[in-house]
Amino acid sequence: MFLALKEIKHEKLRYGLIIGMILLISYLVYFLSGLAFGLAQQNTQAIDSWQINSVVLNKDANVNLNQSMITTSEAKKLTVTNKEAYIGQAPVVVNATDRKKDSAQFIGLETNQFIAKDLVLTSGHTVKAANQVVADDQLKQDGYKLGDQVKLNSLKQKFEIVGFTHNAKMSVAPVVYGEMATWRTLKNLPTSFKAGALVSKTAKYTTDAAGLQTYTVAAFINKLPGYSAQNTTFTFMIVFLMLIALIVIAVFLYILTIQKVQNYAVLRAQGVPAKVLVRTTLSQALILVLSGLVLGALLTWITALAIPTAVPMSFNLPILAGVTVGIIITGLIGALIPVRVIANVDPMTVIGG
Amino acid sequence: MATIELSHINKSFGHGTSQIDVLKDINFSAQKGELSLVLGPSGSGKSTFLTIAGGIQSPTSGSVQVEDTELATLSAKQRDALRLDHIGFVLQAYSLIPYLTVAEQFQLVDRIKPTGNLSASELDTLLEQLGIADLVHKYPSELSGGQTQRVAIARALYANPDIVLADEPTAALDSDRVKVVGGLLHDLAKAQNKAIVVVTHDLRLRDFADHSYEIMDGQMHED
Repeated sequence: MFLALKEIKHEKLRYGLIIGMILLISYLVYFLSGLAFGLAQQNTQAIDSWQINSVVLNKDANVNLNQSMITTSEAKKLTVTNKEAYIGQAPVVVNATDRKKDSAQFIGLETNQFIAKDLVLTSGHTVKAANQVVADDQLKQDGYKLGDQVKLNSLKQKFEIVGFTHNAKMSVAPVVYGEMATWRTLKNLPTSFKAGALVSKTAKYTTDAAGLQTYTVAAFINKLPGYSAQNTTFTFMIVFLMLIALIVIAVFLYILTIQKVQNYAVLRAQGVPAKVLVRTTLSQALILVLSGLVLGALLTWITALAIPTAVPMSFNLPILAGVTVGIIITGLIGALIPVRVIANVDPMTVIGG
Repeated sequence: MATIELSHINKSFGHGTSQIDVLKDINFSAQKGELSLVLGPSGSGKSTFLTIAGGIQSPTSGSVQVEDTELATLSAKQRDALRLDHIGFVLQAYSLIPYLTVAEQFQLVDRIKPTGNLSASELDTLLEQLGIADLVHKYPSELSGGQTQRVAIARALYANPDIVLADEPTAALDSDRVKVVGGLLHDLAKAQNKAIVVVTHDLRLRDFADHSYEIMDGQMHED
């Protein structure tokens, strides 16, 4: 550590550049992780808020809530307690006089079931009539107010916004909660259709209904349109950035080590064990990576404060910790390449003539 | 028993028709309290001799004993430990760590070998003797060639080794400094009972040596 710190202190520009590289890579990794998590959250916020563990869908719907329908005869075979609730999803365009159009996801609810009853509102009250809706706060940010009469798609009927709720997003769109009857209207369905799905807080909810199938909430979320592809894309970007970090750290440390071989050869000639020099290189790599990570995290934090709220950026401590540990490990793996050079330093190279 | 003894040392590089015999049946011994000088032109095998004596490389045949220990019986780690504890190397070039000040060069020795080094007052005396007491806060890049070499000598002596092996320690020094360094190495051998072996082509050091040897075409002769 003594040699590592002294060298960094003496070669400020050289090591500053390396720390700068690691800072930029870690900043990009943190930033992408924040975006990935933020987008993932906007896909699932509403579902997460329901705190459900299983979802019953029409087995032909390809685990897609929007495509799923449960008939009243199928519903009769379902056990519905206070831990279950029917939902129905329909994509809508919300529109009102003097307001901008907003694309949203309409979620039809039974007002006497837990989702409707447990809905946490930031203002207003819950849905009590068929012509009422509760909307995500994003609509409020877009200029909508309590009491606004809004149109959903091309329906002639108008709906009053009676409440706003926070963090209610699904498939990166704000959710508008209303009655199940409205869902049927939006879908142009007769009353013989009960809902799109039944969600349950029970982990192993089972049903005998022939046309229905129970899925875990994880499987359900994974099949949300675009969700899996989006997460895979971000994961690949983050993994590749980590690989780049590994290569950058390895290349820089390798070049630096090659430049120091003569010094190390002198120390080896004097009997300094190779493990002392290996420890110096590894501790130097650790100092560089940690410095870059701390500065990268700081820059990310400043960016997160300054970034517009429209950018779906969100941070999750376990993910950040995982990313941080990942970069530290890749940095240390990168440092192992020059370590091989050090282990084979030949003191003969400095005794000439 | 000699502090360092080389018996029937042969060292060859290459094989068959391309084989080069660098050292041929070398016999050499150095005692504590003596300064031994090994003279020879470039390419005569002086450095090979020094690295074999210091356990950095092994001879093709023959025996090397340091403080009654046969080096051939030691592992690489044990040879490292022997060099660290008993042998001080003064090298011709690249001898200082460029990002450490002169004072930190000695701190590095303390960190690697925490015991048995010179005391602070002994170091001060050594630095005064070498005329480098006022350079302790300077980096090697701020030193002249002669100053660098004197710091390298001080660093080797700071670890208080029983044996000092020096490779051209006066190569960059003017005649006055050669006298200082030669006198210091001689006095050190006498006063602190150390075995000092210097390989050099600098004939100016001859006046300070107890024994002078010459290596020529791989063979050693005592002058």
